[in-house]
Amino acid sequence: MTYLKQIEDHIDRFPEMPPLSQQLLGYLHDPQVDFTIIKELVQYDPGLTANILKLANSVHFGAAGKVSSLQTALARLGTEKILELVLSLTVSSRLKVSLPGYGLQAKDLLRHSIWTAVAAQELANLLNMKQVEMIFTVGLLHDLGLLLLDPFIQTERLRFNQAVDAPEASFEQIEQDILGLDHARAGGMILAKWQLTPEIVAGVQGHHQPEQSTQYQDLIFLIHLADMLSLSEGIGTGEYGLQHNVSPHTVKAVGLKKKHLEYVASKTLDKMQELEKILS
Amino acid sequence: MTLLVVDIADMQISNNPGDTLITYSLGSCLGVTIYDPVLRLGGMIHCMLPSSKVDKEKAKLRPSMFVDTGLQLMLSRLYESGLRKSRAVVNVAGGAQVLDSQGVFKIGERNFTVLRKVLWKNGLLMQTQEIGGNKSRTISLAIANGRFSIKSGGKLVHYDVP
Repeated sequence: MTYLKQIEDHIDRFPEMPPLSQQLLGYLHDPQVDFTIIKELVQYDPGLTANILKLANSVHFGAAGKVSSLQTALARLGTEKILELVLSLTVSSRLKVSLPGYGLQAKDLLRHSIWTAVAAQELANLLNMKQVEMIFTVGLLHDLGLLLLDPFIQTERLRFNQAVDAPEASFEQIEQDILGLDHARAGGMILAKWQLTPEIVAGVQGHHQPEQSTQYQDLIFLIHLADMLSLSEGIGTGEYGLQHNVSPHTVKAVGLKKKHLEYVASKTLDKMQELEKILS
Repeated sequence: MTLLVVDIADMQISNNPGDTLITYSLGSCLGVTIYDPVLRLGGMIHCMLPSSKVDKEKAKLRPSMFVDTGLQLMLSRLYESGLRKSRAVVNVAGGAQVLDSQGVFKIGERNFTVLRKVLWKNGLLMQTQEIGGNKSRTISLAIANGRFSIKSGGKLVHYDVP
């Protein structure tokens, strides 16, 4: 049986999307949603309620003025942000595991994911691409595929180690060559199974080859760049380091300059550390 | 032995022979250690970005984030503790890069350029420099004997004080 087939089988056994997120997703595209319904869903989970309040008051999500009641927090944030918060809180627990295949210690992936999510949002603000939706969520979920591929990388450790010795080989290409798919596509497959929105699936699936996407290009380029910046800064690089290809189209696609990256990196660290405390 | 972890954009100094300073996962960031073998005094910094000009407010709050402000600060602290320039052993590692044909991600290279300027201004030479490539590195400095170690891609290399 090929690896691709085995990995597809694994997806069927991959844990379902957290039920609360699933319910909230149903309301996401309903602009008329009554926030008392969402409050009903959330309030029976005291840990979640506390964390929503903390996140709603964090520098990253912060609304104007301190929010202390759940209902106010929900109404101020709006459904998209709420879904982001709930997904962040529920998915983050899954990102805390160590991944021996990739050489990632517990919490490395979570830290990398939060960094990418924050940096993508910061880049969007800096490049005046504020209309891009779901960017934080996609940033947080972009490497979910690592969870799926990790056991296969452990099995093929020797071939992976040999392949990365070629200095120009990108890790996503090596995954593709040895396993038949890269972690970006694997992540997209999980999220499609979770029936998340098309932009989330596309954003995760395309994050190593943004130039090949036909839709949601702004979103995908931003996630790609934020991911590369995160790896560049050594956040969650694991054993295979910085062996990842930056798309040759990025500069043209988003009007990127060197100084943008350095500015975003300087802004991202503190926000990442604040969110990491809440999410872990 | 006590491991003192130096976080990203942070710095630590010690003169306790039981301490080892360590910083994990240097990508394009630079890890710099400066050691005085007579005093058994050492410092380590993990700088993310080359120049504080990119964000002056941040540089006031976190001088160690930037090579220019961070390295100068570490040197001042070490001089205050008695470091002699003539004995200073300077080791540098990091400055790696993702695979980028457009050259926008050359943060590591720029970090190293600024580092050389600051060292030159201070009249200091590098004993060890392991810079560039695309592997992340973990470095440590043992305060007892100044041994500088670099771990990268499963390989561990030691550099002793000359």
